[in-house]
Amino acid sequence: MIPVVVLTGFLGAGKTTLLKRLLRDPGYADSAVIINEYGEVPLDHDLLASSEETFVSTSTGCLCCVVRSDLAATLMDLHRRRGLGEVPAYRRVLIETSGLADPAPILHALMTEQPVLETHRLEAVATLVDALHGAGALARHPEAQRQVRLADRILLTKPDLADTTALRAQLAALNPAAEPRDVLHGAVPADWLLAPAPRTDEWLDATARHSADLGSVIIQREAPIPAMALTLWLQGLAEHLGERLLRLKGLVCIAEAPEAPAVLHGIGHVMHAPTWLEAWPSTDHRSRIVLIGQGIPPWWPLRLLEAIEGEVLDASASSAEAMTPKR
Amino acid sequence: MTPPELRALLADSVALWGATARVTLDGDAVRVGEMRVTAAAPDDLPIRWWLERPGQKRPCTSVLGLLRSLRNGMGGGEARKLRVV
Repeated sequence: MIPVVVLTGFLGAGKTTLLKRLLRDPGYADSAVIINEYGEVPLDHDLLASSEETFVSTSTGCLCCVVRSDLAATLMDLHRRRGLGEVPAYRRVLIETSGLADPAPILHALMTEQPVLETHRLEAVATLVDALHGAGALARHPEAQRQVRLADRILLTKPDLADTTALRAQLAALNPAAEPRDVLHGAVPADWLLAPAPRTDEWLDATARHSADLGSVIIQREAPIPAMALTLWLQGLAEHLGERLLRLKGLVCIAEAPEAPAVLHGIGHVMHAPTWLEAWPSTDHRSRIVLIGQGIPPWWPLRLLEAIEGEVLDASASSAEAMTPKR
Repeated sequence: MTPPELRALLADSVALWGATARVTLDGDAVRVGEMRVTAAAPDDLPIRWWLERPGQKRPCTSVLGLLRSLRNGMGGGEARKLRVV
């Protein structure tokens, strides 16, 4: 599986400057680069491929599940050429998004296109924020906020040009799990930028410590959750939160298998099938689920979960009663 | 679910859909604009909720079905489907 790192950030945040610098750094050798943007700046690199965004309206009303075939095609073409020896055997792919892009559809492409899923894995999302203009972009452009909320890592560029105290607070409120790192003139250690995203339990702990963030909803539950209730709840979130839900992660104690947690990971309405840890990472066996989004009523997810869970438990009890022989 | 709990869930849901409707308690029922939601009697299973509109009474077998019907009734726009990969 070839790891993919997505580089995003608002216009002028310094993505191309960073890429130019990265591609001269031996630590980033063996990287293929895809620029998912119009009018890309030509980079002197053998592996540069381009992918123009294509928006297709579909009858399902869901653009992101079908649209990014261009990106998927570019990735797979590059992979094919790698297999044929037409390009060097790169070991990772860096994707630079358009500055105006909501990265979620790009992440959806990486999560839903079957050939891509079989050959690549999304390693991390790194978001660049301009120390000088970042606060303004975040205030005016929802796309900039979504780029920050979806980040595993935040790179604070041009930190020498402005006092970043207020901006750091703004970033912490949007994404408490990703601590910004100052980046001067595109200098970023490869082992930091290219490392896998934080483990789910670490991410949850970091986010839970900042529960005052109005953009996050945190659910902690002592009682195990029936698998059916969880499935229906996720369906309800997808249906009714729509684009308000940017990201969901969780460690869940499933009633039918409480000995180890199920790991939930979703972006928007696209969820990875749950995976299972071998054991709980700590003595805390509560279910913890974090929803990151915009405009989510803070109690709505929990109210919905409890309503669904009540119906599922009631149905189980009714079934058990019906199966009991009457005397 | 008690009527106040149902009212709270529906009020949040209406806000999520960007719809405008008053959500109020009406005895054991919850009024959402012109619509009225009541819990079905245990003997009505698998029906769990009744959604009444002027001239129409619709059964719902789950709270998710109820939300879907309410949303459709209020013109809340097309819902997304969960996709698991």
